[in-house]
Amino acid sequence: MAITAAPDAPVAPPRKRPQRARARRRNTLIAWSFILPNFIGFGSLTLVPIIVLFYMSFTNWNVFGKADWVGLANFERLLGDGSFQIAFGNTLYYSALHIPLTILVSLTLALLLNNKLRGVAFFRTAAFFPYITSIVAIAVVWNLMFSPDYGPINEILRFVGFAEPPGWLTSADWAMPAVVIVSTWRDMGYYMILFLAGLQTVPRELHEAARVDGAGVIQRFFNVTLPCLRPTMFFVTVILTINSFKIFDLILVMTEGGPGQSTLVLSQFIYRKGFEESQFGYASAASVALFFLCITVTVAQFLWNKRRSA
Amino acid sequence: MTEVMVPPAKKRGLRPLTEPAQDAPRRRDERTPGEKAARVLGYTLLMLFAIGLLAPFAWMVLSSLKSANEVFSVPVTWLPEVFIWSNYVEIWSESNMLVWIRNTLFLAVVVTFLQVLTGSFAAYGFSKMKFRGRDMLFLLYVGTIAVPWQSYMIPQFILLSNLKVSNTLWAIVFLQTFSAFGVFLMKQFYETIPEDLSEAARLDGLSEYAIWRRIMLPLSVPALASLTLLTFVNTWNDYLGPLIYLRDPDLWTIQLGLKSFVSNLYDTDYALLFAGLTISVIPIAIIFMLGQRFFVEGIATSGLKG
Amino acid sequence: MKRNIAAAVGLALAASLTLASCSGGTTETPDGPVTLSLSGWSIDTTPEFQVLADGFEAKYPDVTVELKEYDAGEYNTLLTADLAAGSGPDIITQKEVKYVPTLQEGGQLLDVSDVELPDGIGGASSYIVDGVSYAVPYRQDSWVLYYNMDLFDQAGVDYPDGSWTWDDYADAAAEVTDGLAGAAKGAYLHRWQSTTQGFANAQAPNADILSGDFGHFAGYYENVLALQDAGSQVDFNTSSANQLSYQGEFGTQKAAMLPMGTWYVATLIAQQESGDADDFAWGIAPAPQFSSSTTGTDKTPVTFGDPTGFGINANIDEGKIQAAKDFLAYAASEEAAQALAAIGITPALTNDAVVETYFAVAGAPTDELSKFTYAEHDTKPENPTSNQAAIVQGILGDMHSAIMSESEAIDSAIENAEKRAENEADLN
Repeated sequence: MAITAAPDAPVAPPRKRPQRARARRRNTLIAWSFILPNFIGFGSLTLVPIIVLFYMSFTNWNVFGKADWVGLANFERLLGDGSFQIAFGNTLYYSALHIPLTILVSLTLALLLNNKLRGVAFFRTAAFFPYITSIVAIAVVWNLMFSPDYGPINEILRFVGFAEPPGWLTSADWAMPAVVIVSTWRDMGYYMILFLAGLQTVPRELHEAARVDGAGVIQRFFNVTLPCLRPTMFFVTVILTINSFKIFDLILVMTEGGPGQSTLVLSQFIYRKGFEESQFGYASAASVALFFLCITVTVAQFLWNKRRSA
Repeated sequence: MTEVMVPPAKKRGLRPLTEPAQDAPRRRDERTPGEKAARVLGYTLLMLFAIGLLAPFAWMVLSSLKSANEVFSVPVTWLPEVFIWSNYVEIWSESNMLVWIRNTLFLAVVVTFLQVLTGSFAAYGFSKMKFRGRDMLFLLYVGTIAVPWQSYMIPQFILLSNLKVSNTLWAIVFLQTFSAFGVFLMKQFYETIPEDLSEAARLDGLSEYAIWRRIMLPLSVPALASLTLLTFVNTWNDYLGPLIYLRDPDLWTIQLGLKSFVSNLYDTDYALLFAGLTISVIPIAIIFMLGQRFFVEGIATSGLKG
Repeated sequence: MKRNIAAAVGLALAASLTLASCSGGTTETPDGPVTLSLSGWSIDTTPEFQVLADGFEAKYPDVTVELKEYDAGEYNTLLTADLAAGSGPDIITQKEVKYVPTLQEGGQLLDVSDVELPDGIGGASSYIVDGVSYAVPYRQDSWVLYYNMDLFDQAGVDYPDGSWTWDDYADAAAEVTDGLAGAAKGAYLHRWQSTTQGFANAQAPNADILSGDFGHFAGYYENVLALQDAGSQVDFNTSSANQLSYQGEFGTQKAAMLPMGTWYVATLIAQQESGDADDFAWGIAPAPQFSSSTTGTDKTPVTFGDPTGFGINANIDEGKIQAAKDFLAYAASEEAAQALAAIGITPALTNDAVVETYFAVAGAPTDELSKFTYAEHDTKPENPTSNQAAIVQGILGDMHSAIMSESEAIDSAIENAEKRAENEADLN
C-alpha cells in the first residue's frame, strides 16, 4: 500500500514555492516597467476620453454640458435608423473590397521590390508617393481622372471598346468601387513597407534549402515565405481591417458620402451626427457600434492567429 | 532542411544526375532568354505602374505653376499656359513657411523619437514576458485603435485643455506619442526573434533591459525603420490634430498654415496650395529615399537556427 | 461589481468634464479698460472683422477688441471644442444660422433682446428663439443674378431687366448659348444645394422644409435639369469631376450668367483688378422669380440668404456684458454698415446711404438695375432657426447630389428624402 501524503500537504518541497512566486512577481514587475511609460500616456490621453465616449453613448449629450442619462434609447434608435443601416452596409462593402485588394497589391509589390536590383529605390519611393501626397490633391486629381466625359480613365475605356464606361464618382453604383480604387492606390505603399520589413524575418537559409530541394518560386512562396510572414500578415490584416472600417477622410474629401448616400460610411455618419447636427450622445452610440464591429472582427483574427501559431 | 545534395532545378525538369552539381548562385549570363524577356517585361510593367503612381503628383506639381483660375477647367489641362513661378516665390516670401516648417519638424522628430522609444519598450514587455492579464491588456490597446478619433476628440480636447497644454506644441506630442500602433508593430516583430537568443543572454546574466537594448533593438532594424518613417510621415501630414490644438499662428504646422494662407471662406487658390504642398512633400521624399534601404537591411541573421 | 466601479468612474469623469465646460467668470471687473475677444476666420483675407473692431474702438476708447483666428472651413467644430472646454470667445460670431439653436440650447448665448437694432435691418428674425433674441446680424448676403454684359452683347441678347421668371431665365440662357456658338455657356450653376433649394424654399408658396414636405423642389429641379440637357449650362457631374469654381467660370467668361450670393461682388472686383478674372462689363440683376407677381422693378423680388451675426458668450465676465452689448449695437448700426459697404461687404442694413457707398467702390457696376437689386430684396432665410434644421438640410443635401448626378429620378429622390426626414428628424 502506498503511503500517501495527507491530502492538503503541499506537493513541492516547502522552500521552492515562495521563491517561484517571488520570481513570478518580479517578472511581472519588470514587464510592467517596460509597459508603463507608454501605458501612462496611453491610459490618460486615449483610454480616459474613450471611456467618457462610452459613457456618453447612454446620454443625450449635446456637447455643452447637458448630458441626461437615456439608457439604451440611442442604441434602439440606431437599430431603426435607415441611414445608419446604409452606413453600416457601405462600410462592410468598402472593407470587403479594399482589404483583399490592398493585401494582394502591397504584398506583390513588397515581393517584387525585395531585392537589390538597380532602380529599386526609385520604385519603392514611387510606391510610397501616394501615401505622402496631400489628401486634398489626391481627391482633386482622382476626381479629374474619373471624370465621366473628359477623364483619362474613361477615355482609355472608350478606346478599348467600352461604349458606355461607368460614371464612377458621379454614379451611385460606381462611386464606391472608385473610392476603393483610390484608397488602395493610396495605401499600397504604406502596407508595402510593412511587408518589406516582415520579409526580412524570413531566414535566407530556408529559401536556399528549399531551392536546393527543387522547389519552384510559387512553392517557395507558399511553403517558406508565407508561414514565416505570419506575424506580419496578422498585424497588417488587423490594422488594415480596422482602418478600413474607420475610413473617413478620403471619402469625405472625394464624395462627401454621395451621390445620395452611396458612399456614406460609419465614420462619416458619426461625424455628421456629432459635429453637424450636434447630437453627440447619438454619435457616441454609433461610435460604440463601430467599435464593436472592429473588435469582433479583431478578436476573431486574434483567435485564428493563436490557433495557427499553437 | 535536407542534407542530400540535389542539383538546382532548371525551369523544365530536373537536370540529369551525371552533370556536375552547381551550388553557386546563378550568374547573369546563365539566365535563359525566356528569363531575360521576363525581366524586361517586369521592368516595363513596373515603369508603367510607377507612372500611374506618380501621375497625380505630377499633375499637382504642374498645376502649382498655373494661375488660380486655370487649375480647374473642362477639359483637363496638364501643362500651364504660362509658367507662373511666382507661386513658389509667394509662398516663401509672403507666408510664414519657415515657422511652419520649424514647427512641423519639431513635432515630427519629437513624436517619432518618443513613439519608437516607448513603443518598442512596451512591445518588449508584451511579447517576451508573460504576466497575468497580458493578452487582455494588449487587446485593450488594439481595441482603442478601433475607435475613430473624431468620436473622442471633444472629451480629449477638454482633458488636454484642463491640463493647460492646449494651444501648445506639447498637446500634439502627447496626442501622437502614445499610439497603440507602434506597440503592436514592434510586438509582432519581436515575436519573430527566436527565444533562444534571449535565453542565452539571460543565462549570461544580462538584465531584461540590456537584452532589449543589445539584442532586440539591433535585430529589429527594419521594423524600427518602418515605424520611424510611418510615424514621421503621419505627424508631418497631420491636419486635424494641429487644427484643433494649435490656434496661435506661431504654432501652425505646414498643413495648417498652407490651408489658411491659400483660402478664405468661399475660395481656395489651388495653384498656390499645390505649390505649398509640393514644397511640403520634398523633405519626406528625401528622407524616404535615403532611409528605404533600412526596410530591407538589418543585421545579418546568420547564426540563427530556423 | 466591476461594472458599478466603471460606471462610477465614467460618471465622475463626465461630471468633471461638464464642470470644466461650465467654468467661466462671473467676477465683477471694475469700470476701466475692457478687452473683448471676438471669433473670426481667415482674418488676413477677411477684413470685415478688423474693420468692425477698429470702428468700435474708435467710438469706445476704453474697450479693446481682440480677434481670435479660427479656420474658416472648420469654424463650427473648433468653436464647439473651445466652448466645451470653457475657452470660447466673449463675442461669438454666428457664421451659420444652423448652429444658433445648438448654442442656444446649450446655454452658450446671452439674451440680447435689449440691443437696439435700426429699422429695416435684415436677418434679425433668424436669431430669435422662443421670442428671445440671441444674436445680432451685421451682414446679410442675398442671392442675385450676375450677368456678363459683353457676352450678352456678343450673343445679341437683351440684358436681364428685373422682370424675369425662371422660364425667362431658361430662354435667355439658351439664346445666349446659341448666340455664342460654343465660346461660352449661357449660365453656370454651382454645385451647392442652396443654388436650387434656396430659391425653391424662398419662392415656392408654402414651402417649409421643417414640415417634411419636399414637393416644392420638383419644379425647380426639373428646370435645372432641363437647362443641363439643353446644354445651356455645364452639367453637375462634369462640374464636380472637374472641380469647377464659380469664380473661375464667370470670371474667365466661360458662362454669361451666374446665380450667386452678393459676397462675390467684392471678389470679382478684386480679381478683375489682379488679373485673375478677365476685364469685362458686368452687373447684377434680381434673381429669377417663381411667378410674375414679384417680377419687375416696381415690386420687391424674392430671394434668399442668411445673416452673419454676433452673439455674446453666456459665460462672459459680468463686467464686460455692457461693452459686449455696445459692440453688438455698433455692428448692426448704420455707421458700421457704411464701413462694411466700403470694403464690399453686404451689410444687414441696406438703406440708400449704404447703397451709395457700396457702389462708389472702383470697379463696381454702375447701372441702375444693379443698385435696385442690391437695395430692394425680400430675403427669406436660407435656413430656418430650429434644432432640426441641420438634420433636414443634411437629408436634402444627399437628395440634391442624388438628383443632380442623375443617379435617382426627381420624384423618387424626393419621396426618399421625405421618408428619411420622418425617420430621422423631429418634424413639425
